[in-house]
Amino acid sequence: MRDVAFGQFYPADSFVHKLDPRTKLLAGIVYIVAVFLCTSYYSYLACFLFLVISIIVSRIPIRSVLKTVKAVLFIIIITVVINILFYSDGKVLWSWWKLTITEQGLIFASKMAMRLLFLVLSTSLITLTTTPMNLTDGLESLLTPLKWIKFPVHDVAIIMSIALRFIPSFMEEIDKIMMAQKARGASFDTGGLIKRAKALLPILIPLFVSAFRRADELAMALDARCYNATPNRTKMKKLTFTGRDVVAWVLTAAFLAIIIMLRTGFFGLL
Amino acid sequence: MLVEVKNLSYVYSEKTPFEKQALKDVSFVVDEGQSVGIVGATGSGKSTLVQHLNGLIRLKNGKITVLDIDLSAKKPDLKALRKGIGMLFQYPEYQLFADTVASDVMFGPLNFGFSKTEAEEAARRAVNMVGMDYDSVKDRSPLELSGGQKRRIAIAGVLAYRPKILILDEPTAGLDPAGKREMLSLIASLKGEEISTVITVSHNMDEIAEFSQRVLVMNNGKLLYDTTPSELFYRLDVEALGLSLPHTVRIVRLLKEKNIILPEVLTEKDLVAALLAYAGGRNA
Repeated sequence: MRDVAFGQFYPADSFVHKLDPRTKLLAGIVYIVAVFLCTSYYSYLACFLFLVISIIVSRIPIRSVLKTVKAVLFIIIITVVINILFYSDGKVLWSWWKLTITEQGLIFASKMAMRLLFLVLSTSLITLTTTPMNLTDGLESLLTPLKWIKFPVHDVAIIMSIALRFIPSFMEEIDKIMMAQKARGASFDTGGLIKRAKALLPILIPLFVSAFRRADELAMALDARCYNATPNRTKMKKLTFTGRDVVAWVLTAAFLAIIIMLRTGFFGLL
Repeated sequence: MLVEVKNLSYVYSEKTPFEKQALKDVSFVVDEGQSVGIVGATGSGKSTLVQHLNGLIRLKNGKITVLDIDLSAKKPDLKALRKGIGMLFQYPEYQLFADTVASDVMFGPLNFGFSKTEAEEAARRAVNMVGMDYDSVKDRSPLELSGGQKRRIAIAGVLAYRPKILILDEPTAGLDPAGKREMLSLIASLKGEEISTVITVSHNMDEIAEFSQRVLVMNNGKLLYDTTPSELFYRLDVEALGLSLPHTVRIVRLLKEKNIILPEVLTEKDLVAALLAYAGGRNA
């Protein structure tokens, strides 16, 4: 379980790590929009380069970043296969029964795969370089305008940070429970699908029991300290933008501009 | 030789910033009939060490042989290994999952190939052995028992498949003083009749003084001492290792400062006997 890297913070001292979480979140949104604006291969190339440069600057080993793809690789493959087999426009290269492979289909599927890949990699780059605490602080700050419509921004932020905070704890818990059941002779990697699913019960039930217990304890601890989400709570660490963030905004804006120009063919200049 | 560990080293999360050397070149042998305590400060590698013994952590560097099963083999027979070496984790009550006590205790035996009737018989025996009445608890949910009872059931779940070696990881953690005493006398009674060899991981020194004939002291992943409890508590500097002294030893030391010299006792029973003998000697 320890090897699941999805969304885990990877400590390092880099330009990306030091950016304000709001900058990273906004840049992430801009990047996702840009990925969906892509049409030509050149624009995909631009997205790819932007991503690769960000990863290199973040000083996170490529291996750790790619690990995050492993979790969604299956979905990507399924999407590609379905797209290839059922896309029917364009020059037919191969066909059998209702399945056809067309040139257009191949192109479409490869673009789809790139899109998904870019989405996963970019969002996991944010979580790899930002601590959960910082991430929720950033999100809370970005959502502040919603307070105008009586949206409980702070409550949502605290719920999120509690949820994020407990992910590693539960991973540890699962690890422990698995060991205890393995010691009693349970095996989780043999047998068919149903047998394997059944083998998970001795892990899931203790996990849920402990999740409820922890939730109870936490709620009691919050109550005991008279916690409530009063407005205008002060922060221990205030978020501040620095020169670094300005650099990141300019670069992101430039990237978005390039993508838009590629889409419109440089406003008819090319 | 039941357990043989040779030059065992282990690194957690190798090649990441979370990398941590948990064990460094640990070697020791445990013979049949011994009760061995493993002590050390938090993070000294105790738990990592015992998790190696029944193959829960894959051996990377070194050699381990347990019950004639070579763990450095490509595919060691983990089922046979785990059947022979029962392991009770910290807070074992959190591993209970089944809807009834009976089926939870039978989980181990069924996994190790007992038939249904054998498993039921084993469960009855194990639950009675931990001092509970099988017929009155077998159909209850393990979750509605009290903390101490849950832990007993968890122990029964391990005893049921009759391991030759029992490993206990902090068996009294989180229990109240009365519960601790009960647990310790339970373990003591098991050691005699049911199980020949017990390995206890603990940082409760009273437990070690009470039960172990031999202590392995871990410090920063290394095996610092392999010695007897009296040697450890009376000759070596225990406090420098971040460990405390057992209460019995502390009392002997305090009395020594008052010029009352007692023999080097470890267990409560011996301390009481020594005190009575001392008092008797003065009156005569």
